[in-house]
Formats: sequence, C-alpha cells, structure tokens
Amino acid sequence: MTEDIRSLTARLAEEPSSLAFLELGEALRRRGQLDAAYKVARGGLGRYPALADAHDLMARILGDQGDLAGAFDAWVEALRFDPMRIGALKGIGFLYFRAGDVGAALDHLHRAAEIDPDDASIAQALARIRADAGAPAPAPGINGGPAPHALAPELSETPSTEKAEPGLMLVDSNGLRLKGSLRSPRNEEVGDRVAAELAGVSKEASRTSRLLGLGAWQSIAVESAEGNLYLVAPTPETLLLTVRDPALPMAQLGLIAERAAKEAREWLEQHG
Amino acid sequence: MAGTARMTAADVALERVTQVPGVRGSLLISATDGLVVAERLMDGIDGRAIAALAANLVLRLGRATVGAGLQSPRFVHLRGNAGSVLAAPGTDDLVLVALVGLDANLGLARLEMLDAVGRVS
Amino acid sequence: MRALEPWVLQPLQTFLTESSARLILLMTTSGQVIAQHGFSRSFEVMTAAALGSAIVASTEELARIMGSPRFGALVHGGNRQSCMLSAFGTPRGRWIGLVVFGPETSVGIVQLFFDQMVEALVSAAPREQPAPPVLAENFERELDTSLKELFGR
Repeated sequence: MTEDIRSLTARLAEEPSSLAFLELGEALRRRGQLDAAYKVARGGLGRYPALADAHDLMARILGDQGDLAGAFDAWVEALRFDPMRIGALKGIGFLYFRAGDVGAALDHLHRAAEIDPDDASIAQALARIRADAGAPAPAPGINGGPAPHALAPELSETPSTEKAEPGLMLVDSNGLRLKGSLRSPRNEEVGDRVAAELAGVSKEASRTSRLLGLGAWQSIAVESAEGNLYLVAPTPETLLLTVRDPALPMAQLGLIAERAAKEAREWLEQHG
Repeated sequence: MAGTARMTAADVALERVTQVPGVRGSLLISATDGLVVAERLMDGIDGRAIAALAANLVLRLGRATVGAGLQSPRFVHLRGNAGSVLAAPGTDDLVLVALVGLDANLGLARLEMLDAVGRVS
Repeated sequence: MRALEPWVLQPLQTFLTESSARLILLMTTSGQVIAQHGFSRSFEVMTAAALGSAIVASTEELARIMGSPRFGALVHGGNRQSCMLSAFGTPRGRWIGLVVFGPETSVGIVQLFFDQMVEALVSAAPREQPAPPVLAENFERELDTSLKELFGR
C-alpha cells in the first residue's frame, strides 16, 4: 500500500465525514483496486449524496469496472448537481460515442469546450469524433444485437448551439412543452410548434390501438428522409419525443427513448 | 384502362404484404378521407376502422414531422401490447396500411410495404 | 346538446367526442327533430331538418328507380365544411342523421363513429309502444314544443 493511500485511509478512519474519501477513492482507482475504490466512493456518497465530485468519482470507477450504464447514470447525477462539470460532460460524450450516437457525443463535448476552451483533450476528442463520424466505435453487445446498456440523452434545458442537432422533448397533453427543445435541420427552434402538433397524439394513439384490438399503445416510430422520431408516453398525461438522424437504427432509437422516458418519469415525480 | 391497371397494382401490393408472416391484413387507404381504396383482410378485421383511424393518426404525425422541419413521414409504426399498425404513406394521398400481430416479422413487413407503396403511388 | 328523449344523449355525446363533428341533427324521416347539437337558432334546425329529410327521400327514390338498395350515406365534401346524411332504422322507426364536420376530422372517422352511435341508439331505445302518429292539427304544436325542448326554453 502506498504512503498516500495509507495516510488517506487513516484520515478517513479518524474522521469518517471528511472529504478524504474523494482522494482515497481516486487513488485506489488509479492503482486498479476497483472494489476497494467502489466501497470508499459508496460510503462517501452515502454521506454526501448531493456532491457532484462524489458522483463523478463513482462514474469513473464504474466505467473502469465496465458498468457503462452505471457510469452514465452517475455522470448524469453529477451534472444534475453541477451542470458545468467538465469531467461528466466528457464522460457522457465518450459513452455516447461508444454507443454510436455521434450527435449526442458532439453535443456534450461542445458544452464542455464552451466551459473550458483551453482543455486540449476536449478539442482532440471533438476532432476524433468528427473524423470517425462515418464509422463510429463499436458499442458493447454489437454482435448480439442492441447495446445492453442503452444510453439515454439527458433532457437538455439549453438547445444545442450546433446546426441541425436532433433533440429530446417532453410535452403535456395540452400541447405545451414541459422540458427539452427541438431544432430543425435548418437550426430553427421548432419545439413549441411541434409540441402543439403533438397535442392529442397520445389520445389518438390510445384510441387507435384500443379500437383495432392492439391493447394499450406502447410507442410510435416515424421515419422520414431527414430524421427519425420516436414517441413514448412516460405518463398518461405526457409524451416524450426523441428525434435523431436517420443513420441511427430505429431499434436503437427506441432503446434511447425508453431510457429517456424512465428519466422523464423520475423528473415528473420530483416536479409534479 | 389506367384505373384498372392501377387497381391491379394495388392488389399485387396488398398480396405481397399480407404474405409476410404475422400480417393480419393490409389495405390501401385515402389519407384525407380515411376511406378504404383496396383491402385484403383476414376474417373479423374491420377495414373501415383501420382506414379511418390509421389515416387520422398518420395525418397528425405528418403535421408534427413537417412542423419539426423534416420531410413527410415515409413509414409509421404504432406499437401496442397485442400488435401493431404499420403505415407507409405514398403519393396521391394514398397510404398502405398493415395490421400485424406480435409474431409478425416487422422488418420484412416494413421492407415489403416501402417497396409496394412505391409501385402503387 | 338537446334531445327530446334522454336515452339519446349518451350515444350522441360519445359520437361528438369521438368524431369531432361540429353539428349533428337527428330527425325522423318526416323531419321531426329528435336531437341536435351545434345549432344556435331554431329556424336553422327547422330548415335543416326539412331539407335533410327531403334529400334523403329524393335519394331513396333515386335508388329505387335505379333498382339498387338504399344508399347507406350521402356525403357532400366542401372546402371548409362537409356534411353527411345517413338514414338508419331504430325500434322507434327510421331516423336520419345530418352531420356537419370540418377538416379537423375525416369522413372515415365520422362514418365509423356514426355507425357506432346507431348501434348504441338501437341498443338504448326503450322497447315500448311507439308514439301515435302526429296529426296535422297537432303538428305545429308538437313542433313548437320540440323546439322549445331542444333549445332549453
């Protein structure tokens, strides 16, 4: 055991509520002692559940352990408490790139670059993703079908500043936007208009499905030449729209949308 | 004569789609009116209801898609607990619709529909 | 929405909700109004009922001359509004439905839910002795009473 780990361990033992767990967890992670790192981070999160640093540490540990979905969730939590956390933006951007969602990867990295324009690693990552845009890195589980850990984009409060980036939007049954936004391929803000057009779609889908003997409706997938849309209802009163480039397979878009719907339900429970 | 040839093309298209495993019926409908133009349905399947409801849904989704600055839909899939409705809008206000069960080969149905709707439009 | 007989209300309400139709008038083949929704003046109701029943009568006569069965429905498509006339049988006799709808719905939807409304009306109609035929001398009084009922006065 190295000296720093020894001293950090002692410090944490003397004062369990100290933030030494952050340094200790990171030190253990760097040494590859991931189980120990996980226990330290877990303990720290128990005491400081709203500390972005703790969630960031946990995300890095889980990422090293291969739990990419867990890492994603932890970075999302980090951003919730600190929306400008560069490490979380980079981490999520990397995970999206691995999953083949280039648009979302670029979106997160661009946000990181805006916060710290001098971070060379961000510029390198952006250059790499743009160069590989035609051949994204293989995602886990690609041989067996869809990625086992579907990554969902967060419901962004801020529209992407990039041209023609697809979006994610939560709409209520009156045709009003609850969260998220949408931009057209020509980079116009179209969220409100689309929200209005979607008013009643859930009810219409429900009626169609019921009267045609299809049971309760689950989802609607719409393909167009310039983009694919996926609609799910996180609750009976809301509709979640996910829009992506048509290069993303529809089945994968469905997984992304279902994951986002879960997040939307949690958000609605908190804000309802 | 052109009208007769067109109906024959419609019959051929519907036949191909209904031969896909799990497809319980297919029909060509008028999107604006929600009326049946041609159909090939299993017993007990209500073509009129499919035409009216599918047309309504496709038009609504079309408005949302265009409102998002995208081109009109070329394929729509409404999934329910017990099956799905698939729709492939063509030109001239025609939409090819299929009602499928849970066991349907959705990928094949989609390909056949996209191919067929291009031939009848 | 107003109806002379309360059992008509639920099927009518369901039809309006599902079809998004703007106006509906239910009447007998002789033009006596059973129920209405969307009309604002009694004069309009009287006129629409008279014209609607006459159009249906003309159409049925046309079908008879052509040697074909009665037409199921007559639809006039307009740029801003369309209308559908359809006659159907009930335990209370033959009735006519006049429906006006806009581009927010479609003729397919209107017909689909109109047929469901007819089934519901047939099912809901009380199985009792039909009313005696209205005599000419009572007609105007009956019509006036009906109109007051339908407009809540």
